[in-house]
Amino acid sequence: MDVFANLWLGFTVALTLQNLFYAFVGCILGTLIGVLPGIGPVATIAMLLPITFNLNPLSALIMLAGIYYGAQYGGSTTAILVNIPGESSSVVTCLDGYQMARQGRAGPALATAAIGSFFAGCVATLIIAVAAPPLAEVALKFGPSEYFSLMVFGLIAATVLAHGSLIKAIAMVVWGLLFGIIGTDVNSGVLRFTFDVPELSDGIGFVIVAMGMFGATEIILNLEQGEKREVFAAKVKNLWLTMEDFKAAWPAVLRGTALGSCLGILPGGGALLSSFGAYTVEKKLAKHPERFGKGAIEGVAGPEAANNAGAQTPFIPMLTLGIPGNAVMALMIGALMIQGIAPGPQVMNEKPELFWGLIASMWIGNLMLVVLNLPLIGMWVKLLTVPYRYLFPSILVFMAIGVYSLSNNPFDVLIMAIFGVLGYICSKLECEPAPMILGFILGPLMEENLRRAMLLSRGDPTVFFTKPISAAFMIASLILLVVVALPAIRKKREEAFAEETK
Amino acid sequence: MRRLVVAALAAAVFPAARADWPARPIHLIVPYASGGPVDVSARVLAVPLQKALAQPVVVDNKPGAGGNLGADAVAKSAPDGYTLVMGAIATHAINPTLYAKFPYDPVRDFRHVALVVQVPNVLVVNNDVPARKVQELVRLVRQSPGKFDFASGSTGSTGHLAGELFKQMTGTEMVHVPYKGSAPAVLDLLAGRVHLMFDNLASALPNIKAGKVRALAVTTRERTSFLPDIPTLHESGLSGFDLTTWWGVMAPAKTPPEIVERLSREILAGLEQPDVKERLRAMGSDALNVRSPSEFTAFVQKELKTYSELVKRSGATAD
Amino acid sequence: MKIKSPKDFWSGLMFVASGLFFAIWAITHYQMGTAVRMGPAYFPTMLGALMVVLGLIILAGSLAVEGPKVPPFIFRPLVFISIGLVLYGYLMKPLGLVGATAALVYVGALGGHEFRWKEVTILYVVLIIFSWLVFVKGLSLPFPLWPAAYS
Repeated sequence: MDVFANLWLGFTVALTLQNLFYAFVGCILGTLIGVLPGIGPVATIAMLLPITFNLNPLSALIMLAGIYYGAQYGGSTTAILVNIPGESSSVVTCLDGYQMARQGRAGPALATAAIGSFFAGCVATLIIAVAAPPLAEVALKFGPSEYFSLMVFGLIAATVLAHGSLIKAIAMVVWGLLFGIIGTDVNSGVLRFTFDVPELSDGIGFVIVAMGMFGATEIILNLEQGEKREVFAAKVKNLWLTMEDFKAAWPAVLRGTALGSCLGILPGGGALLSSFGAYTVEKKLAKHPERFGKGAIEGVAGPEAANNAGAQTPFIPMLTLGIPGNAVMALMIGALMIQGIAPGPQVMNEKPELFWGLIASMWIGNLMLVVLNLPLIGMWVKLLTVPYRYLFPSILVFMAIGVYSLSNNPFDVLIMAIFGVLGYICSKLECEPAPMILGFILGPLMEENLRRAMLLSRGDPTVFFTKPISAAFMIASLILLVVVALPAIRKKREEAFAEETK
Repeated sequence: MRRLVVAALAAAVFPAARADWPARPIHLIVPYASGGPVDVSARVLAVPLQKALAQPVVVDNKPGAGGNLGADAVAKSAPDGYTLVMGAIATHAINPTLYAKFPYDPVRDFRHVALVVQVPNVLVVNNDVPARKVQELVRLVRQSPGKFDFASGSTGSTGHLAGELFKQMTGTEMVHVPYKGSAPAVLDLLAGRVHLMFDNLASALPNIKAGKVRALAVTTRERTSFLPDIPTLHESGLSGFDLTTWWGVMAPAKTPPEIVERLSREILAGLEQPDVKERLRAMGSDALNVRSPSEFTAFVQKELKTYSELVKRSGATAD
Repeated sequence: MKIKSPKDFWSGLMFVASGLFFAIWAITHYQMGTAVRMGPAYFPTMLGALMVVLGLIILAGSLAVEGPKVPPFIFRPLVFISIGLVLYGYLMKPLGLVGATAALVYVGALGGHEFRWKEVTILYVVLIIFSWLVFVKGLSLPFPLWPAAYS
């Protein structure tokens, strides 16, 4: 088999001592910056670029890739432990992961995240190895109308994220869409809702909103409780998964991996949807959906697997087409260019050792990360036993540093504080932030693609239904809408709601 | 404890004397988010520069308002040679006209130290467009006015303005389709959803070489050494067409001349180093035609004039 | 008319207000365009209107169905945490990590339930050392450690 010969080649180059070392350095660094809120892989990779000048291209790429998926592992740690989503993908992990941590089940939550990510990473790597070129063609099939329909589907799915009132969830999605509009309009260059504040002209950063509405709000709410109780259950039940946990988690991991692998291929928003999508799927398939948002292990397993698979497959369009699916991939392309390699269709043929070496190193990197992260769980869980009066100022400092470092601008920290207050008000009024965050991410993409599709079709709205892929998403959206709005299900939601308030 | 902190604060406060410049780290502000070509080239340049100056050169990203935010911050910072900016064609030639409210004077508020990168744009068409030469394309577009789409990385980008200039010079009609960055635009070009693009050379090159898109012409006055067989638009009947994306190091206006001279010398020497040269070349940067601070100032003035006319005629705005 | 569900009443009001704001601001400041060639006002106006409708439905519901009360706002943590964060951002440049962290840690700790000078000071010193090692030395972020020199 060709693939095996190629993979063999890949492993022989990736398993050299030097490359193993760089994979390890990348994974450690990635885990570190992933754990630190706000400091993301983009800034870190940019800062490390000069160091890679003196490496050979493969070592450089292996290290940078290690940082990238190391950050994915680390990001879920912060989400689970302190409810701070450092990346769009870990917003969903906050929902149930943090609740698990408060119930003394941080250990199983972290273990599920690590193992789910590892499994998903292995599968996604295999997919890249076997089917990168044909999958790249799929990415090409997605134009503005397809993306728009996909976003519509994603938004309808978003309302399932909330466990309270459906109509409030929809309103929060719309609010998120509106916040997402702030900034420069891509189509006309007009500044919208920026109120003459130059910092707003590029829009509000996702990380800032998410850290405000999740991280800052959570701290404020916790402090409000005062003496009444410690934030985290003092007794840690167990560090490892129980048999029931495992049984509940593995099908979720499988589904998450499948979903993430598919969506990750699409540059421009695909990977963003994967963890949200996986959560929706799990909640819809669950026998007791009311457990979600209160520490359901499937709510961690599915999305974590999906986001790791979705983090890996963007390498497909990057390596085969030279199209970056996200900012990190754009940087990888920059790193390669500096090395005199232009990523594109020829890389696979002209530099097979680079292509296959990277794929092999992804697998090695994932293995390192899981080995690295599992023993750390004990340490993280111990961290939660630190009294909250020490813990919360530290979290505040890390949040502030992380947000400040995004663009070295105090304004970003101000915005985070404002969203912290907004999150506080919303929590008092029982309006949940997760649907809003998804709306916020998808809003600009949705408008952009809608208007571009209309521009390209010269104003013919039927394009959304005449193109097969787009039409399929539209029909699926319609079905989902019916499912979500079905009175029977609404009744079920109310029952769940009633149970909660009892 | 308190007293200790105060003492340490006092120790940290020292006056910046000119003779011993540089006595502390130099901050090179990049007015864009980390990871873009301007950022990457700044980091490439920082390596030889800090060796030559024996002080760290720290690259700070200060993105916002199409680069205006970072450039403005430097224009208004202390002119002591410790704060520099990577000013670009956007911040110093296009935006002053494009933006309704513009905070600084791109010529008078800066000392233009050294041009660092010049990248040509290249006219690429999807393979299904049956044109091999520029004039064939012009004929096709003329036959079906308004049917052709050209993509660009954003409204007011060089790719957009090149397209507008092309329309004016050939008297044709095309629809401009703006994207958020060049990558999604290239994707739609590859897939055939848009017909053509005036893409940055570095991003277009791999797909040209792989035969996925066809290059018809480059936008610079001279041919580029990257694609010696591809004619210029100037040669292809659009005489006078000359457009290059560029960026370079600038300092606040009142920076002492001896510091500017020294910086300029060290940057130009750094750019001559083979590994630096090779890396910038990999980003699509060809030979530079601007060598001194005064030439750079003249160059910025000329570009500013060219683009103010071009932007006005194209009707592109941002506020 | 009696408010039966205060939580829903106030959130409905909040949605109506912000929907109105976005829609009216968009209509008065940006071009509407047409469905074919949408202007910059089109999308926000539609969304704003949708939000007003949703808000009204929630409002109507709050008058009809019994619901929980809004829990009281406790301002101490809310105010101190927000102010601490904002101070950190704006003090970073003039006062460096040392000053900014002091502001955030001391002001933030005031938002907590108990405030002990000694404990907070130890925490502050530890956080400064940690931030400096990890962010400035380790990740080489361009933060000043000490207050900036005023020349």
